[in-house]
Amino acid sequence: GQEQGSGSARPQPPEPSLLRFLVCPLSKRPLRYEEATNELINEELGIAYPIIDGIPNMVPEAARRTHKQPPAEDSKQP
Amino acid sequence: VYQVFESVAKKYDVMNDSMTLGIHRVWKDILIHKMNPSPGTLLLDVAGGTGDIAFRFINYVRSVREQQLQRKLKHHQNLSWQEIFESYQEDKSNSLGDSQVVVCDINREMLKVGKQKAQHLGYSEGLSWVLGNAEELPFDDDKFDVYTIAFGIRNVTRIDLALQEAYRVLKPGGRFLCLEFSRVSNPVISRLYDLYSFQVIPVLGEVIAGDWKSYQYLVESIRQFPPQEELKAMIEDAGFFKVDYENLNFGIVAIHSGFKL
Repeated sequence: GQEQGSGSARPQPPEPSLLRFLVCPLSKRPLRYEEATNELINEELGIAYPIIDGIPNMVPEAARRTHKQPPAEDSKQP
Repeated sequence: VYQVFESVAKKYDVMNDSMTLGIHRVWKDILIHKMNPSPGTLLLDVAGGTGDIAFRFINYVRSVREQQLQRKLKHHQNLSWQEIFESYQEDKSNSLGDSQVVVCDINREMLKVGKQKAQHLGYSEGLSWVLGNAEELPFDDDKFDVYTIAFGIRNVTRIDLALQEAYRVLKPGGRFLCLEFSRVSNPVISRLYDLYSFQVIPVLGEVIAGDWKSYQYLVESIRQFPPQEELKAMIEDAGFFKVDYENLNFGIVAIHSGFKL
């Protein structure tokens, strides 16, 4: 697919070893790496941190909501 | 705006060399020697954007590792060439001995400069870069052997929070190391230092970076930063034990150290 961004060729994934240490700065809970969007996702809070040029952007201000209902309110089961 | 920030980050190293007459390199070397990391150490370097501490750390563990391997080879006098060759091969694949450094900085441009430097200088293994806030670190508890913050802590708004976070992410037995400008008590040196700081540094800032104001601010913020004993108390408040400090150059900079038990 096409990527948005400042013209760097393709999204760089993070260093694999980093994923061992990284957690959400807000909740300190584990994150899931989503290859499709090159983001680190906190499922519980429904937020995603972007990875830009291979550098994870782990400040809360940079996180976007993932448009998922928080689990407590989700009445639809897949 | 993007390019302005990019150029500040790129000039950062040049400014450091000019302002401190290159002595900042010595200070950073001393920090790493004090750390004395062994291969397998996990380092978190906070506010270390352009990579100075990270690269020194890698160099240090590499040379320690090489010494280890050489000692090992000397003991292999009685082995066959084949056996020596094989053991050398398997050690060679990990020149860092599993050491790792994570560089965390709040400024993307600094990290980019650091990453580029790393590529340029040939550092790749055992090095990763994260954009994060020292007051709210994106790392799990009890993970790192050493936490360093070199010339970064005075830029943190809530130093107490940064210290608490440092404590949290360190393993039990882990070490906190802070290299920062501090207080000169000797009146003669203090006078000379003030002269240099207020007369020379802002001029350098203007000539090299086209920015008098920021460097004047820098000099003033150094004066306002807590002195040695006060910083020591703050580090103790965060829970660290065996906290002490070492003055370098009459207290122009100090290295504070503490341990998490």
